[in-house]
Amino acid sequence: MNIIVIVKHVPDLVEELEIAEDGKDLNRDFLKFVVNEFDDQALEQALLLKEKGGGTITAVALDAPEIDQTLFTCLAKGADKAVKIVGDLEGRVTSHAAAHMLADALKAMSHDLILTGVQSAEDLDGQVGPLLATYLGEPHVSVVTGVEARGQMVVVRQEYAGGVTGEFEVDLPAVLGIQAAPQPPRYAPISRVRATMKEKKLVEIQAAAADGAGLNVRQMVRPQVASHAEMIEGNTDTVVERIVGIMAERGLMNG
Amino acid sequence: MLTSEEKVYFGILVILTLSWAAIDFARIAAVIVSRPGFSVRVVLSRAVRRLPSMLTQVGATLPVFRLRPREGVFHYLIFAAFSFYALVNVLDTFSAFTGFSTIGQNVLLDAYNLIADVLSVLGLIGMAYFLVRRFVQKPPVLNFNPGVVLYPKVSAGGIRRDSLIVGAFILTHVGSRWLGTAFHLAQAQETSLYLPTASVVSLALAGLPAAALAFGVHATFWLAVGLILLFFPYFVRSKHIHIFFAPLNWLLRPDRPLGEIQPLKTDGRPLALQDLRWHQLLDTYACIMCNRCQQVCPAHNAGQPLSPAALEINKRYYLTDHLHEFADGSAPRVPLLDYAISREAVWACTTCGACVDICPVGNAPMLDIIDIRRSLIEQGDTLDAGVQKSLENLGKQGNSFGASGRARAKWTQGLPFKVKDARKEPVDYLWFVGDYASFDARSQQLTRLVAKVLNDAGVSFGILYEAEWNSGNDARRVGEEGLFEMLAEHNVAALDSAQFKEIITTDPHTMNALRFEYAKMGKRYKVSHYSQVLARLVDEGKIVLRPQNGVNGATRRRVTYHDPCYLGRYNRVFDAPRALIERSGLQLVEMPRNHNGSFCCGAGGGQIWSANSKQAERPSEQRIREALALGDVQTFIVSCPKDMAMYSDAVKTSGNEGKVVVKDIIEVVVEAMAESAHEPKR
Amino acid sequence: MGNVLVVVEQLNGKTGEITFEMLGKGRELASALGGELHALVIGGQADELGIADKVWVMGDGALAHYTSANHKAALVAAISAISPRVTLIGNTSIGMDLAAGASAATGIPLIAYCNALRVEGGQVVGTSQIYGGKVLAEVAPEDGACIVSVLAGAFPASAGRSDKTPVLETLAPPALDNRVRFVRLIEPEAADVDITKAAVVVSVGRGIQSADNIELADGLADALGGVVGASRPVTDAGWLPKSRQVGKSGLRVKPKLYLALGISGAPEHLEGMKDSGLIIAINQDASAPIFDVAHYGVVGDLFEIVPALTEKIKG
Repeated sequence: MNIIVIVKHVPDLVEELEIAEDGKDLNRDFLKFVVNEFDDQALEQALLLKEKGGGTITAVALDAPEIDQTLFTCLAKGADKAVKIVGDLEGRVTSHAAAHMLADALKAMSHDLILTGVQSAEDLDGQVGPLLATYLGEPHVSVVTGVEARGQMVVVRQEYAGGVTGEFEVDLPAVLGIQAAPQPPRYAPISRVRATMKEKKLVEIQAAAADGAGLNVRQMVRPQVASHAEMIEGNTDTVVERIVGIMAERGLMNG
Repeated sequence: MLTSEEKVYFGILVILTLSWAAIDFARIAAVIVSRPGFSVRVVLSRAVRRLPSMLTQVGATLPVFRLRPREGVFHYLIFAAFSFYALVNVLDTFSAFTGFSTIGQNVLLDAYNLIADVLSVLGLIGMAYFLVRRFVQKPPVLNFNPGVVLYPKVSAGGIRRDSLIVGAFILTHVGSRWLGTAFHLAQAQETSLYLPTASVVSLALAGLPAAALAFGVHATFWLAVGLILLFFPYFVRSKHIHIFFAPLNWLLRPDRPLGEIQPLKTDGRPLALQDLRWHQLLDTYACIMCNRCQQVCPAHNAGQPLSPAALEINKRYYLTDHLHEFADGSAPRVPLLDYAISREAVWACTTCGACVDICPVGNAPMLDIIDIRRSLIEQGDTLDAGVQKSLENLGKQGNSFGASGRARAKWTQGLPFKVKDARKEPVDYLWFVGDYASFDARSQQLTRLVAKVLNDAGVSFGILYEAEWNSGNDARRVGEEGLFEMLAEHNVAALDSAQFKEIITTDPHTMNALRFEYAKMGKRYKVSHYSQVLARLVDEGKIVLRPQNGVNGATRRRVTYHDPCYLGRYNRVFDAPRALIERSGLQLVEMPRNHNGSFCCGAGGGQIWSANSKQAERPSEQRIREALALGDVQTFIVSCPKDMAMYSDAVKTSGNEGKVVVKDIIEVVVEAMAESAHEPKR
Repeated sequence: MGNVLVVVEQLNGKTGEITFEMLGKGRELASALGGELHALVIGGQADELGIADKVWVMGDGALAHYTSANHKAALVAAISAISPRVTLIGNTSIGMDLAAGASAATGIPLIAYCNALRVEGGQVVGTSQIYGGKVLAEVAPEDGACIVSVLAGAFPASAGRSDKTPVLETLAPPALDNRVRFVRLIEPEAADVDITKAAVVVSVGRGIQSADNIELADGLADALGGVVGASRPVTDAGWLPKSRQVGKSGLRVKPKLYLALGISGAPEHLEGMKDSGLIIAINQDASAPIFDVAHYGVVGDLFEIVPALTEKIKG
């Protein structure tokens, strides 16, 4: 099976995110990027499928700061080929535009299955998976937690709230939005990533022109953060009295 | 004395047994010298340089007395008897062939006889002690934890059998020689003041017929000297080979400090004996299976299936069974994980170095474990979730906490002064703060205290701010060599951009990496632990400690101190923290395990990141128990931020809250400083 | 026209709570836009949807089981037929399949992860919660229409319920897209409680010291009608099952009341509970980070406070 895994860089959320002066995007000057955690799951799922049934894996990403490192990490983990789509990709690329560019590139790449993370931290205008599937005219399933290859189709599991899972047969080619691979994404030792950088090359493809998402961002703001707790002082009785009072005030005392 | 027939037989026996033993010995030598890193030049230079220290160490068997002084004494008896018997056997053979007698010749031979006589008895007593210990007393230190991988021959009782054979041999060999002397005396109908015990026995034998005495003389010769010939081939294949290899190991072990480990290329293959360096095979043959290493091992004490001794034992059994193939290079590559140690054991090691420190024959099983980890990482082994997350964080953010690298100096917020940026202005001390002291909420306030004290003492110091990354010490010990290199390269570049005279570290693990491991990258830094700098400032009078505690006859508060592995064993810093405690007016009560014998908190080697909880009782909890057993000690002083985290938790989880308080050395100093400030001016 | 269309989410014959949350908000938007509130049922039941002015029912047997391909095709057909100004879809597993796919197929823009919606000067303005909740983006469609995927819990469900009987209208389903075929639904094993559903979570951390002490938390949780959760060290130690773990590597909870007992507040834990309605923390260490997210904090001994608190609540 020939699998394409789409990976994307997103701002590292452990960093302080600053809003740009015009208030319409993040201040991207000092942003640090990491691979979207769900894309990591998608790659792991692809690696497991390949280990079980053979085939090839191609990692595809739109150009972004430090994306080379991530694509080489995909290769170090076991992807066969890595493709970087280059072009005018400054700032936040909308999911619609990204899906258009990806669809354009992927049309020319033979594939059975496209895996990508179910969502990312910046899909303001929707998730890339279903957008891409629609542009390619392929079926799509989101929130997938299990994939099994079965001839010209895959059997997938889709997770719903409350632990209910749906099982589906999906004809290939198809796009799947991966929530979680059956096992945690593997670790790529740094030495192997470094060796891969010496041994392999990234394939570059020019991005097609793409429309935006049809949305105007009016402003971005940071939500109010809660400050420090109000401390309750006193002996055990006073403390208990006060806690019960607070809970009663909010109607939490009737079980 | 010997008949001509006997002389012929003896000659044949010498040729057969010695050549047999020599062939096996040559094979072992071939295996060792063919390993990576072996060079005659290195061996010779070490041998020449180390000979005097080796002779004193081995001559007095000093390391054997550690941990088990009583066994040390009895071992020394056997050691002394056996060493002296090298001469005795030569002289006895000479006498047997020529009819020469050492009795009544001159002062020198009188002394020789007296020593031989006394040592024979002492050696027998020593051997008897160990046989009783192993087969009657059966001390638990000789047992392995459940789940420890043992080579089939070991689990089938190989070690006990080996011990029994060797024990019986020594008893027979020494006993026969001793008895033989008595037969000689009885035959000659004399006694000698210089053979007191043999003379007494000879009196008992005096009544025997001449033929019986003659038979006795011949039989005891064969049982003493003949037996030793027969045993040569066995020695080479038994644990008794340690009598050759233990001294050799002391002579030839690497010069490197404990904290400097060598890179290893595994090419992504599982680690096999073929990958080990020559000194790691030397270790195998030097090991006598005394199990001191597992006795001090935190993982073993926590009930995990790790025994450094078993690793060496298994390696040697495997090597011995496949000696031919290893000697001619045809041995297949069989992963060490298949027979020498389990994966679980490999990941349980805290790299505390206690096994290396305690080993009486100078072995370093910890290095094998780190090498196996490296090959596991290379192969993409499924890691412990916590360890993997931390490694990923180190790769992404430069710290194991997964916090923003830019928040590294956030702890400085709230200080009444600005900590200098050593990249922007020259400082005397570059403070390499480390992950825990920078990011762990509990440690941050301690870090601020250190900063305040240094500042108040007028010390010129600065930090690297966000340019400081984790030193990579633990990443390297987890086996992630590439990550270590990446972190080290980054830090070296950051340090290059700063101007300073000396580095201070808070974390002893960081100290180790900067001091010993970055040296290999051509960077020699002068690195001190903050406790050393504080002690220096106290000496110079820049920090004034004039505590009220203990003054004017008041009793001093009793406290204990835990030596962090990477500060004590690794960096040999023992005195500075103790001096600070004493100067702070506290009475230091040592725990039974102190200085380089300190017991690991369980955090090292990446364990602090691990989600693993398969421990019967955490090492840190055992340590708190050890401190409480001192009685009347309510303060447990630490000098490592990881210790602060580990022991604060251990006090809680062991249900000892309120009984003992964990304090950092800086808190001790600050309290004593506060007391000085209140002291009325004289 | 400014009609609002709510896509009804039904699984296993049951209408999801999110549907009523959207209906309530949809009602408000429809009046602001001077249009009607419509609901779309694909292959399911039209019960309980009385608040809508009109309920469109599309397909029956063939669409009864949800499949992404068929339901997306149905939704696209419905949007073309009805031309709503605003289409509301839950940001659920099903909504993730449908919303972006429908946006791509119809060319109507999508506002995803929406937790606030209003009409301003005749234009719909939505707030999208992105970057893990660290940023709120206020966006509006360039042209009139938009599709919005709505976060669960953003709007009250009570506003979406009504006893009225709606007007039903049937829509012809599109040609079936059988490339995705339903096989079965797998129910979770009923083993332990679901801490994500509880209104009150009493969580214990390392400070609880041993497995035996968990009963203290059990007692308090019982008294409050809640469940017991835990921080990672506690589940790692095996004192409570993994299904009780709150945090990034466990479950994210958002109860009305979260009591943190002996939890210092590692970031991993905070991430799983910081959005709770009311957080009260009891810890020995005054500098514990848990106090940075808690609304109320007590520095003290939980072994004294918890039993006293339990007694007091029981009355």
